[in-house]
Amino acid sequence: MRFIIEKRNEKSKKMQVLIPIYSLLISFVLGAIVLLLSNANPIQTYAAIFKGAFGSNTKIQYTLVKMIPLLMCGLAVGIAFRLRFWNIGAEGQYVMGVIGITWVMQFWTWLPNVLVLPIGLIMAIIFGGLWGGIPGALKAQWKVDETLTTLMMNYIAIGIAEYLYISAWKAPKNNMGTVKYPDFAWIQRFWGKVHYGIFIALILVVILYFVLYKTRWGFELNMIGKNSEAARCQGVSIKKNIILAMLLSGAIAGLAGGIDASAVTHSLTKGVNSGYGFTGIIVAWMSGLNPFVSIVIALFLAALETGSDALQITMHLPSAMGEVLQGLILIPLLAGSIFIDHRIKPARVKGDK
Amino acid sequence: MEKTLVVEMKNITKRFPGVVANEDVTLQLHKGEVLALLGENGAGKSTLMNMLVGLYRPDEGEIYVNGKHVIINSPQDSMALGIGMIHQEFMLVGNLTVAENIILGLKDLPTVPPISEINEKIIELSKKYDLKVDPTRLVETLTVGEQQRVEILKLLYRGADILILDEPTAVLTPKESQELNKILKKMLSEGKSAIFITHKMIEVLEFSETLMVLRKGKCVGIKPTASIKELSEIANLMVGRPVLFELEKGPFKPGKVRVELKNVSVNSKTHTRKTLDSISFTIRSGEILGIAGVAGNGQQPLSEVITGLMRVNSGSIIIDGEDYTNKTPLQIIKAGVSHIPADRGRMGIVGDMSVGENLSMKKYRTQELSNHHMINKSKVRQFASNLIQKFVIKTPTQFTSAKFLSGGNIQKTILAREINSCKGILIAVYPSRGLDVGAIESVRQNIIAQRDRGSAVLLVSEELDELRTVCDRIAVMFEGRIMDIMDAQDASTEKIGLLMAGVERSEECDS
Amino acid sequence: MKKLSILLTCALCTLAPIFAGGSTETAEMSEDAPMKVGVIYVSAPGDFGYSYMHDQGTIAAEEYFGDKIEVIRMENIAENEESERAMESLIDEGCKIIFANSYNYQQYMQNVAKEHPDVYFEHCSGYLDNENMSNYFGRMYQMRYLSGIIAGQMSESGNLGYVGAFNTPEVVRGINAFTLGARSVNPDATVTVVWTNTWFDPSKEKQAAESLLDGGCDVIAQHQDTTEPAKAAIDRGAYAIGYNANFMELTGSNHVLVSPMWNWGSYMIPEIQKAMDGTWTSQSYWGGLDDDMILLSPVSDLVPSDTVDAVMALEQQMRDDTFDVFWGELKDNTGTVRQAAGEKMSDGDMLTMDWFVEGVIGSAK
Repeated sequence: MRFIIEKRNEKSKKMQVLIPIYSLLISFVLGAIVLLLSNANPIQTYAAIFKGAFGSNTKIQYTLVKMIPLLMCGLAVGIAFRLRFWNIGAEGQYVMGVIGITWVMQFWTWLPNVLVLPIGLIMAIIFGGLWGGIPGALKAQWKVDETLTTLMMNYIAIGIAEYLYISAWKAPKNNMGTVKYPDFAWIQRFWGKVHYGIFIALILVVILYFVLYKTRWGFELNMIGKNSEAARCQGVSIKKNIILAMLLSGAIAGLAGGIDASAVTHSLTKGVNSGYGFTGIIVAWMSGLNPFVSIVIALFLAALETGSDALQITMHLPSAMGEVLQGLILIPLLAGSIFIDHRIKPARVKGDK
Repeated sequence: MEKTLVVEMKNITKRFPGVVANEDVTLQLHKGEVLALLGENGAGKSTLMNMLVGLYRPDEGEIYVNGKHVIINSPQDSMALGIGMIHQEFMLVGNLTVAENIILGLKDLPTVPPISEINEKIIELSKKYDLKVDPTRLVETLTVGEQQRVEILKLLYRGADILILDEPTAVLTPKESQELNKILKKMLSEGKSAIFITHKMIEVLEFSETLMVLRKGKCVGIKPTASIKELSEIANLMVGRPVLFELEKGPFKPGKVRVELKNVSVNSKTHTRKTLDSISFTIRSGEILGIAGVAGNGQQPLSEVITGLMRVNSGSIIIDGEDYTNKTPLQIIKAGVSHIPADRGRMGIVGDMSVGENLSMKKYRTQELSNHHMINKSKVRQFASNLIQKFVIKTPTQFTSAKFLSGGNIQKTILAREINSCKGILIAVYPSRGLDVGAIESVRQNIIAQRDRGSAVLLVSEELDELRTVCDRIAVMFEGRIMDIMDAQDASTEKIGLLMAGVERSEECDS
Repeated sequence: MKKLSILLTCALCTLAPIFAGGSTETAEMSEDAPMKVGVIYVSAPGDFGYSYMHDQGTIAAEEYFGDKIEVIRMENIAENEESERAMESLIDEGCKIIFANSYNYQQYMQNVAKEHPDVYFEHCSGYLDNENMSNYFGRMYQMRYLSGIIAGQMSESGNLGYVGAFNTPEVVRGINAFTLGARSVNPDATVTVVWTNTWFDPSKEKQAAESLLDGGCDVIAQHQDTTEPAKAAIDRGAYAIGYNANFMELTGSNHVLVSPMWNWGSYMIPEIQKAMDGTWTSQSYWGGLDDDMILLSPVSDLVPSDTVDAVMALEQQMRDDTFDVFWGELKDNTGTVRQAAGEKMSDGDMLTMDWFVEGVIGSAK
């Protein structure tokens, strides 16, 4: 029996809901096979992951805290993706944001206390924005491929950060990491570990939804993403919009870094490149670039990550198993999205009826 | 002529969600004959043929090839039955040679193909059918006509006996069309058969033995071509109502100069020859200037420099007395220039956005549809439904993705948008290309109406009839130059044809 | 598709009660229940280095206490807020005492310690503490000095290499001790230092060692978490000084002359005992030879026996406190006197050491 994949004539609303659910179930089955091979009870393991992510107030709090940078990076990447601009540099833009805020926190000591945090966050936005704007400008002006530039600029940003926290900005007594930010400039927590940054992220969701779906500029971005040549014929400047979108994309990723640094790590140190920028790509992709859906996806991915701790604690599985399971869960979900647009059906062989 | 049936499609029905693409259609193709398949866009010609080459499967009905019932699941299956199709867009790889393109995708090929043997076989085939192509040349160096021959050779090499040609003459010069006709006749005499999809009625008479007309998915007539006396007979069958061949056109009353090009030149990135070479002309209000020429002689770059999509290396473009050389497309749009681009799908519409959104793409930035930076969605809805009504765009709703519309309705969408926003200058590039009779009629009528309202129109076309009936003046382009500009009534087919081929360059251009 | 969905729905239904009833296993402890001990490692014990040796200590404790304790391990925990989450998770599971083995955990551990006064915290290699948080470490520099003697003796060129992780006082102290040891038997010996800026990165560590070997070093010492620098030396036919574990055993080569080793069990077992007995108190602990927290692996058979004897004699002297590594007069590698003649360096100076002794090529800053 052969199978053929053919394009669906119209996007099915039902499929858009059902396919992710089926994909998730397939993911769980795949994961179960691997777990059984390593002598763990899959059902107990999944229950443990769920409990690890949502089992207590503290756990919910950690999951929410983790969701904030994931969500923001997802939003950041999503803006660029709307233009079919493959920004895989959110990681570097995030790191630059942390560098920006750390610079203010550590060296702008003459600032009045109340201004340190706001100016620090603005600096994070500027640093991240520039880091995104550079590949944007390179693409707009000389058509330099953005996947390469954004990817390479991640490593440059991480290299700069390492140099700073290991050597130039290192706190005297540490083996790495800058001094803690002054505590008056921390983003405060309001529920256990959960800090006010979550509101910035959620407000950003609303603003972006509004900008992308209701404004002229959002309309232009949509046109460019879906047919840049036609957009150009309609008088939309591709160059200008690529640069603008990348400035915004980088700025949001930078702000994500600024918020996480001023609320959670309170310094620039190892682990600043913790992969939020890369996971943000998955958030953007799985959410279909919709800001509101991004919240759900970011929460799901955050839960997967915090929940994986439980594998070690309650299931006594090696830490690598957590990563294996995360991968196994993501692949069917990503692969599944193809079936929203396509369907698979058996091809009848010649002669049979 | 003895009549052996080679292909029979019996009572074929194919449904797509919401549409019946083919309903109870029966097609018969005999050995050694050319069957012309006629019909408006969306009549179901392509769907029917796609079922024959395995891209779709019929919901009902059966297909017989050489008398045997077959089920065709893929183009490979159909090729194995000796059926091959040449699509409108050639599927060739530019930086490979002719021979490499021909063997590309062949399954039973040794890892290292014996190129010299293949070349010999190709030369043998091309001699047999008068298909003159050098197998060692790179495809990108070939003319369109030659590329088409490569496509035909590709099918013959694979042993095809039945050829399906989708609008094969759309991209050819009159001379190349004649050559294609000769090639087809030669192949028929060797026992091959062909189905010829077209909506150019004159061609039908020259090329085919039998013609079959589809309308709205149903077969509305099968006739021997020889029995056709009047072109209008076919046209009426296709459209389902009498077709006007006379266009209503007001008297020629040219006004002031709206657009002026002075020695505009554009250098080519790949050739030493300039893409546009010192182009000068004017367009006045109330006038349609036609641009004739074989596709690829600079017509499209010409339209793009006026609309700001391509930069000029020297010379100047003046709109209403102001210099607009190398201004941005937006500045030029704001100066009042509307543009119906050559490539509808790529430049004219955004297929993944709705018809309504596509209609608003020129006006969304004006107060009419938005308030400061916010788009007013209810105003857009109102605006779009007005245009859909006014221009009779056939679409399920204004929220349907534009890509689901037929070519004619896509073109009407573009036309509606551009004419609605037109402030007196319209650049129309191949506006009727690939459209059916009914749609062509409406496109032409709309363009003339613009002119009668006092607009300055530039019409690029490759249809001499269209140019002669629609335009007031005609300029002929060859290799980036304007060969001559003449009044439409002085332009004989012969004169234009020679100029198009670069012969007889008139020195006294009245620019 | 329909069948599949039915199947999966069934699977979900069986899952549901487990999610719902998951909370039945509460962490309430009866008298006989084992005490839960949490351990957090910066890498996986499979590194055969730093975390491996900590796990050896944990295993020793498990063997010693049997079913009186239950150990929960968390490995590969990053030195950022993730470690805080890990500690919170361990506390959620009911751990009474938590050990964490890397320097940068200390700030997070101190935060968590303040919030959970009823749990004992043990941080290795730092300096922060709290009423319920101790820090502990060992005087590894003593073993480094002894391994330096062997390296100095065995080197033909007098050109020694040292792969260092970070320029922290701990690493600097180790390099200085090693250099002093080497120069005590070979006054012209020099030690070239390359920083990797990572505790654990097999390829970087290997690369650093190779660059030292290319530069003419014939003995490679290391302050890293893997065996890669030693392996690089062995592959080139040079000598290596191990660290953490017995590298001779791990690599199977007698080109590993000796390895300064940790014995964490010697600290963990009494601490767990104290936690059980309720006699636990906070401390800053810097154990030496006399506590068995540090030791020297068996010496390679390539090393002459009189050298081994001399090293053993010196070890006894250190144990008796009649000899120590950092005795004046000590000059740094720019010629400035850092420690006056005849004086023993204070622990405070040792713990903040940020300069290299004479004979080290490189910068401690």
